[in-house]
Parts: sequence; structure tokens; C-alpha cells
Amino acid sequence: MFLNMKLLAQHTLNGFGGMGEGMSMQLARDGRRVLWLAHESAPKNFTAVDVTDPRKPKVIVQTDLPHAQMRSNSLEVAGDLMAVAYQVTKFGLKPAGFELFDISVPEKPRSISTFDASGPHSRGCHQLWFVDGKTVHMACADPEQKPRNPKDDQVYRIIDVANPSKPVAVGRWHLPGTMDGDDAPPPKRLPAKFDAGFRAHNTNVYPERPDRCYLAYIDGGVMVLDISDRARPKMLSHWTNSPPYNGFNHTVLPLFGRGLLVVSDECVQDNGADWPKLVWVLDARDETHLVSVSTLPAPPVDVFKTKGGRFGAHNLHENPPVPGAWRSENVVLGTFFNAGVRAYDVTDPYSPREIAYFVPPAPEKSKTGQIQLNDVFVDDRGIVFTVDRGGGGLYALEMNV
Amino acid sequence: MIPDGRTPVIVVTGFLGSGKTTLVNQLVRKESDSLVIVNEFGEVPVDHELIESSVEKAIALPNGCLCCHLRGDLEETLIGAAMRRRRGEIAGFDRVIVETSGLADPGPVAQTLYADQALARDFKLGPIVTVVDASDSGSRKVSGEIARAQIAAADVVVLSKVDRAADASNTESEVHDLNAGVRCIRASFGDVDPAALLQVKPGDHSFSHTPTHNSAIRSFALRFEQPVRRELLQQFISTLVDLRGPDLLRVKGFVPLESGMVAIQGVRHVFDRMRHAEGGEPALVFITNGVEKREVEALWQAMRRLGS
Repeated sequence: MFLNMKLLAQHTLNGFGGMGEGMSMQLARDGRRVLWLAHESAPKNFTAVDVTDPRKPKVIVQTDLPHAQMRSNSLEVAGDLMAVAYQVTKFGLKPAGFELFDISVPEKPRSISTFDASGPHSRGCHQLWFVDGKTVHMACADPEQKPRNPKDDQVYRIIDVANPSKPVAVGRWHLPGTMDGDDAPPPKRLPAKFDAGFRAHNTNVYPERPDRCYLAYIDGGVMVLDISDRARPKMLSHWTNSPPYNGFNHTVLPLFGRGLLVVSDECVQDNGADWPKLVWVLDARDETHLVSVSTLPAPPVDVFKTKGGRFGAHNLHENPPVPGAWRSENVVLGTFFNAGVRAYDVTDPYSPREIAYFVPPAPEKSKTGQIQLNDVFVDDRGIVFTVDRGGGGLYALEMNV
Repeated sequence: MIPDGRTPVIVVTGFLGSGKTTLVNQLVRKESDSLVIVNEFGEVPVDHELIESSVEKAIALPNGCLCCHLRGDLEETLIGAAMRRRRGEIAGFDRVIVETSGLADPGPVAQTLYADQALARDFKLGPIVTVVDASDSGSRKVSGEIARAQIAAADVVVLSKVDRAADASNTESEVHDLNAGVRCIRASFGDVDPAALLQVKPGDHSFSHTPTHNSAIRSFALRFEQPVRRELLQQFISTLVDLRGPDLLRVKGFVPLESGMVAIQGVRHVFDRMRHAEGGEPALVFITNGVEKREVEALWQAMRRLGS
């Protein structure tokens, strides 16, 4: 299925095509465009693909994790530095945190340092944001804290990596009431079938507002944080849709010129069990008073909901402020698992329109029998790269809108 | 830049036997992601049978003349196709090619796309391609009014069967008498570069000063040296439509507003809503049935004076 998107190439990444939600482009010193991808699960850590010619992607390096009870899931590139998140499946395991690599020679990523966030109440780092080469903003447990509920272990953390060989924790924030010792009462949890935790997910910070973090907090809604004092982030506003919705707020994408925030949920259950999972448009002209004004038109629900695998919103192209990335204030792209990758015109925030989509056929090794597009990155040539969670690997698309 | 994800509808028209189906077959062969809608005239759907490589995608409209009786069906067919595409029930397509009956005026197809808001969410008018048989001018003369309307409406003309024509230049002159600035592409057996046809925008026009004669058809341009007020432009078009709407065979081009350039398109009394556009010469091309340039200029100048 397609509209205004054309498949240029697919690469199953040497048979390890189950991909996570880390996609970042390096403009290498020799002129190549290298797309770095995090894997969904063991055994692979990350894969680098030369996409200089998007019709002929080439794997140039693929690395292994140290053990199978962990995954990388998220990574970001800033210049010749790459930060890779490490999350473990059981509390207390290592490595939990992130690792910094020198990727000046893409074929030979060289470890510079690791940031250890392991502990008895830690699953490490699920997601990180690293665009300025100096600071890692991440959703990661803090061994100094003990969550009241084990699902709430990952908080917002700020790590100074100006000296990449010695990362230093400089700030953190968590939803009041979720940690031992908090004065605030514990938040009321969602029904057990939807309770995914009150913990950080995406932690976006942009040069337009370096003193703000646009934070999604899973079942806790989304927040705009004032991080002008990095040691003491303060919550400026808080918007939540759950209940009555089913939680798992995932990404907050600010459109600075428009005074808008675009917020995605994440579907985490198969066959529509947690539907609806939507993308919300918020009026953020007053950053202390966020108002929902619309949702992006959902793909046909009766077609996809029980088709198999996950169906619903997930990652957005986040307008990363880095060389090589496409940025738009009018077009928002997101992945919707079995409903593919989709693009929306939000010129009129009250009436967003779907303007392009691509739904690949299910890959051969798909356990769900469906495509499960997981993440999307658009480069400054307008090439849309998207990855499958279930084995399809990387898809390069041309978008014509 | 406002993104535009709407699917273009290319209208292929031309007199009976001019070679429309051959051209459409060639286009579909080279540009496979096309949805072809064939308007058949008569009881035997000959044209549908001839659309060789797109049978699974073709939606044949089985009854009569598209312009006379099937405007509602065209809307339904297009909206249904968009819905079925979105649900994955039919293959995707990047463009729609509507092949009209040889006896159809293409204007109503354009009007349908301008006037129907539901349709306009998913579709936009692409180029009107008129196929003209360079080897046989006689058949056009039999039903001259329809043939002239088809040529007048064209964004691009394909001169077909040039291999059989003694001199295609005569036909090209005939075309330019009716539609002075239109691009003519010569073809044998429908073999043309698809990009030359499909990438033409409805507002594209070369501003020839060739005078028209030989019929009541007039072709001229109204130029805009300065940005104009949106309200004034709307009043001008509205008044023109009130006065001479049935005789406005085609109006197209770009007009500079204070907020930027807008594209204008109209067929007879129906105009598309103004859309911001990039580039283009600041002028409107008029192809009319007996409406003279001086009449339009006089109206515009009068309204400017009243509006200032």
C-alpha cells in the first residue's frame, strides 16, 4: 500500500532485521552518509549502513551485544561521536546505561567510555537524545533512587559528556510521588492491563530552546521542563490523556515556529488490545497551558486493528537538529506498526491531513505475519528511512508531496 | 511551502479515433502506478478492452458520455478508489488517467474536480492532454465545436499519427489558432516521453502572441505587473463568470497577491479555490469562445479603479 511514497530499497541487514528505535545519520568525513541503527533485541547491538545511494544501501559494520539479557534499542550520533543506550531485562544486570563511541572511521567504531547506571532497581537506559556532542538527555534509571513501583525506574537524566571519556551526571527529574522518600503521594496507576509505568521515554532538547526539555513520561503524560538550571529541572506544564486513554506517551515533537507540540502514544499490545494509540496535536503557544486541538487521522481502524501484530502510533521523525536531517514545521511523519509509515500535513493544526504512506508487505521472518514499522528518520534529501521491528530491516523511500 | 499530497487526475481527451487509447496504453506501460478510468461511448466497451496492462486497475464507466451523464459517477469512482487504496483493497496509484469519450468536452471533468470539496481533498486536476490526429483533419470538422473545445481546453496537445501525416505542421497551426500557447508533442503509435505529459502543470503555458482566427475561439493573456488584493481578484473573477461564464473555455495562470503568488484555474463558470503556488509568469491565460481580450482588460481596469 502506498500514497506518494516509493520504495527505493529494502535491506534485511544480514538477517538481523529486527530493529529498535534508534536511527541517526552521520555525514562522514569522506562524504558518505552513514545511517546508524539500533537493534530491537539481542544478539546485535548496532548496525551502520552506507546510504549515500539510497537505492543501494550497504552494511558497513554490525556489532554484537555482550549478552542476551539486554538490548541497545536507542542511539544518537553527534558529529563523530555516537551514544548507545543499554537496557537490561532484569534489575541489577550490567551493562546498564550508555556507551560512547568514536565513529570517525565508521567501519571501526571505537569505545570511548561507558556510563554505568546499573543497580538493584535499575534496568538501565531505554532511550537517549544526543545532538550537541556535549550532553546526553536520557530515560534511564538512577541507582541512587528506589522507585516505589519497579515499573517506574527510568527517570529523566542529564549527563555532561563534554569530556567524552568521563561522562558526568549533572541533573535528573522524576514525576513526584514515584520514588521512595517523595512527599507527593504515588500516582494512581492505570488498570493492570495497561499499567506500563510512570517513567521517562523521549527526552528531546533543541537549540531553539536549550533551556527546555520536551519529555514524554509513558503513563504519566507529557511535560515541558525548565532545565535552565540543569541540576534542578522544574516542571512548567503537564498534559495527560490517560485515563481515559490507555497510557504510554512516547514522544513530544515541538514545532517551534508554529507554537505546537506533536505528541505520540505507543501501541504496545497486539491486535488492537490497547487501541486507541494516537498522535495528538497540542497548542503550546502558552507553554504553561497545553491544549489538545486535534489528532492525526488514524489509518483505517477496521482494516488494521486485528490484522496481527501491533497497530497504532509509535515513533515520529523528531526534526533532529543535526546536519543531514530533514526538518519541517508542516509535515509530520510517524510509524504505526502494521499500518506502516505515514506523513501528515499539519499546516492547519485543527484539521491535519494524511498526505503520504507506505505499508510494506510482511517480511519473511515476521512472527506476527505483518509488517511492524517501528521508527522513521528523514534525511535532508527527503529520503524517508524506516525500520521494521520484526525482521524486515531497513526500508528507503522517496516521498513526493 | 504547503505540501500537496493530492493525486493528480490527468485528462486524456481527443476526437473519436484520434489515438487516445494508444497513448494511454503507452503511458500505462511506462508509468505503471496509474489508475485508468475509461469513459466509454456506446454499448461495447471497446476502449476498456484495449487498456492492456492495467486491467486489474481499470474501473470502466460503462454508460455513455462522461461529460453528459457520468459526472456523478466520476466523483463516486474517484472517491471510491481513494477509499479502496487507503484500505489496501486495490493497488496503490500515483496518478489517475481519465480517458474521456471522443465526443466529450473535457471541461466538466475539470469542473468536477474544482467543485467537489470531498473530491478535492484527495485529487487535483493534472494536465488536460488532447490528442489530435495529424493525418485526418476531416473527422474533426464534422463535429467542429466539440473538437475545438477539446483543443481549447488542452494544457498539452499530442499530435498523433505523424507517420501518416503529409505535413503535421498544418495540424499544429490549426491547434495554435485555437490555443496559442499550448505545447504540441508529435507522436507515432502513442510513443511519447511520459514526463513531457505528466509533469506539465495546469498553469504552465507559453505566452505566445500568435493571433487567433478562423473561429470564435480566442486565446490571450492578462498580465499583472503589481500584486493585487485577493478580494479584488475574487470580485473580478466572479463578475467575469456572471457575465461570460459559459464562454470561458479555460482560464489558468498565476496572479501575484500581496501574500504571494496564487494559482488560478477555471473552466466555464467553475473555478478552483485559490492556492498558493511557486513561480510562474504573473498572468492569466484566457481561452474563450468569442470573449475578446479588450473586454476582459476593460473589466479588470474598471474593477481596479472601483477597488482603489
